[in-house]
This record gives sequence, C-alpha cells and structure tokens, in this order.
Amino acid sequence: MSKSLMVTGASKGIGAATVERFFYADNEVDDFILLARESEAFSAFLDKLAADNPHGKKVTSYNIDLADRARTVGLMKDVMATHGKVDLLVNNAGYTSPMSIQQIEFADFERTIGVNLYAPFTIVQELLHNGNTFELIVNIASTAGMNGRPGWLTYSASKAAVITMSEVMKEELAIYGTRVVCISPGRCATDLRKTLAPDEDPTTIMQPEHVAGVIDMLASDVGRFVDSRNLVVRM
Amino acid sequence: MYSLVLLNGGIGSRVAAGQPKQFIRVNGIPIIVYSLVAADAVDEIDEIIVNYPEGWREDVEKLVIDYAIKKPVTYVPAGATRHESVRNLLPHCKNEHIVLHETARPLISAADIRRLIADPHDNVSFMLPIPFTVAPVEPETGKVTGSLDRDKLRNVQLPQKYRKTDLAGAHEWAVREGVVFNEDGTLATVAGYDVYFIDGTDRNFKVTTPTDVRLAGFLLGGEDDDE
Repeated sequence: MSKSLMVTGASKGIGAATVERFFYADNEVDDFILLARESEAFSAFLDKLAADNPHGKKVTSYNIDLADRARTVGLMKDVMATHGKVDLLVNNAGYTSPMSIQQIEFADFERTIGVNLYAPFTIVQELLHNGNTFELIVNIASTAGMNGRPGWLTYSASKAAVITMSEVMKEELAIYGTRVVCISPGRCATDLRKTLAPDEDPTTIMQPEHVAGVIDMLASDVGRFVDSRNLVVRM
Repeated sequence: MYSLVLLNGGIGSRVAAGQPKQFIRVNGIPIIVYSLVAADAVDEIDEIIVNYPEGWREDVEKLVIDYAIKKPVTYVPAGATRHESVRNLLPHCKNEHIVLHETARPLISAADIRRLIADPHDNVSFMLPIPFTVAPVEPETGKVTGSLDRDKLRNVQLPQKYRKTDLAGAHEWAVREGVVFNEDGTLATVAGYDVYFIDGTDRNFKVTTPTDVRLAGFLLGGEDDDE
C-alpha cells in the first residue's frame, strides 16, 4: 500500500534526517510532503533528494512559517486536495529564543507557542476536519518539557504542553485506530540546540539521524509495542 | 447496501444534567461520535439516518461536520417514544436493508456491524445470554408467579438489522393493534416476522447511569495490559 509522510521543519536537523531515513529505504512510503520556511538549506536539501532518488519517490515541498495559523489552515486543505491523505505525520518544527524571565519579549513567547504547540495542533485538527485519519502521528517534544530549565521558560513550557497534548491525542484518536507517539529527545546536534547551548561541541552529542532511527522504529510493525506516552531519546 | 438508522432522540434524565445524554462525553468524546465513526468505517453502509431531540439538530450537525463523517447524514426529529422514533426514521432510508443502532451504546465497533451484516438472515439482533436468574412476578401483590428457563431467554442488544419492509410492516401492525414496544426484535417477532439472533458481547452495554459512563470510559481507554 502506498503511504504518505508529512514532516514539518523538514529542511534540516531531525526533520531532514527523518525524511532521508524513509526516502532512501525501499518501503511503502512514496509520497513525501515536506514543510519548512523558505531557506537555502531547504532548497539544497530538496536538490539533494531530486538528484538521488533511487526508488522514484514523489517529493512535494511547501514553504510555510508555521507561526502563521491562517496559512497553516489553508495549506492543510490544499494538502488534502493534492495528496488525498496523510498517513504518517511528524510534527517536528520547533522554535526557541532562550531568555531569562525579565528579558522575554511577549511576542517571542507567542511565536514559540505558535510554532511548537499551536501549529502541530492546527495541522492535526485541520487534517481531521478535512476527513483524514492518520495511521501514525509523531510529536517531537523535548526533555526540556519534562523539567523546567533556567533561561528556557518559553521553550520548556511549550514542550511540556506538547507532551500532555500528545497524551490527549493518543486517547481521542484511538477511535480511528490512529497511533500517537511523543518523543522527547535530549541533547541532539541541531541548529535549535546551537541556540540553546552555543558553546557545546555538536560532535559529542546525539545526532539527528539517531532520532530519525527511533521514529523509523515507531513507524514499523514493532512500534505499536512501545509505550510511547513520552519516549525519552538521549545519550 | 445498508442504511444506518441511529436512535439519538432520548433525553437521559438519569445521566445528563441539562442536556440530552447524546452529548454526554465518554473519554472526552461526545457519545454519539462513537457510533458515527464506527458506521463511517463500514463499506456496506452508504447513508446514516439519525434523529435528534427537539432543539438539538444544529448540535448534531456540528458534530457530524467536526468529525468529518463521510457518509451522507439525514436528520429526522425524534418521536414521542422510541417506538415512534423508529417508525418515523424508516421512510427516510433509501435502502431495503437497514442496521438499527442507538448512540447510548458507544462500545460498538465497525467489526461488530460487519459481523451483523454478514449474517445470512435478513432480520438479526445481537443478543446476550443471561448469566443470572430472572423470575416472573406480580408487582402489585409482590408475588412470584412461576419460573423462567434462562437458557431460553436473551438480553436484547443493538445493533440489529432488518429488511425495511419487514420492520415497517411490524410497525404498521403495532399501530393497528394499538400496542407499543420498546424494542424492535420482539415487536417484529410478535408481528409475525422471522427474527434471528447472534451472540453479542457484554462490552456492548447501554450507557444509562453515571456509573455506566465511567465504566464505558474505562473500557474504551484500553484493556488492562499489565502482567
């Protein structure tokens, strides 16, 4: 059976690694729906997939800033009209601008919640409203959502909300047989991590490909046997 | 093809506070949604005929939209009694074969509906063996009047399936005779139509009390999977 995979924040980091993991495997996933902000990194990644497509898979890219809720709502309608369904969804896009309490700009807090929490909610709700029933939804939270960290208030709060939102989705979407899993990566060598910990040597920590491997496992036949209420992935 | 006739008209004074029990939430989801989603997944069903308590049509329509139910849905006002509601719903069915269900049984699955449809007989009800003893009594005098063989008794459940003309014929007979039934399997039988049963499960119980709501939520939340 032909399956579609939608990944947000697909231009780099865990998003891009997840796309590559499914794209270069000889599997049922042959329709790739990639969402990211317009960037050189996204263009370069798309060029790379186009240049080396061993299984002749279809890739469609959408430039979108997920903080723009109205555009996100409209895009989900377009996605359903064009692709017909989204079987696998990886809500990966994340944003952070770490600041102390006194320094947080409220607009920045709103953007953090908009991208990290409202966007995955909106994507799921709008796809449901358009008649989609998912096979698997993977929400990427963070270990920073399990405990508050000084200087990371907005990010920690948004990821804590993603963990509990995922628990609710898991229960409510069971009526469709949809599996909802939440994974909380620890330190992982992404651009977002560089923002949070600029002095850290990224070669010494977990790589995006490792997290992509876990997502691949969760999407496989054995994935259903993993109690993924909030699966912590860290070194 | 089959039409799903979904009974959704009763006001459940025992469960609900200020709203019809159809909008009671089980595990956070309005109870009617479970039946709509189960029916939506059954290929043999191509339309849903649902009734609504007076004043609540828009609420039912909104749920159908919010949950993106794909099968066409027809809305019919509820009758004064369950018996009357079934009679009023039947003329709206385009198919000769119907599945009759009620929203108060949220633990229905698409597989249950398929099993019912797959039965070779036309008129079939899920029924459950009775694991306890029942006795005939005279309530006025407080006197036990005999005994009943529980092997020959069944707990009548929904869903059921019928030929529309048979069930409509049974209801016409009831009007002529001036009798009211609160269940259609026995009505159709007494009216002279052959009705068969297949074993249901005790999961598929009717949610009528606050305890039932909690029990249904527990069962829908997943079985106990600990060793």
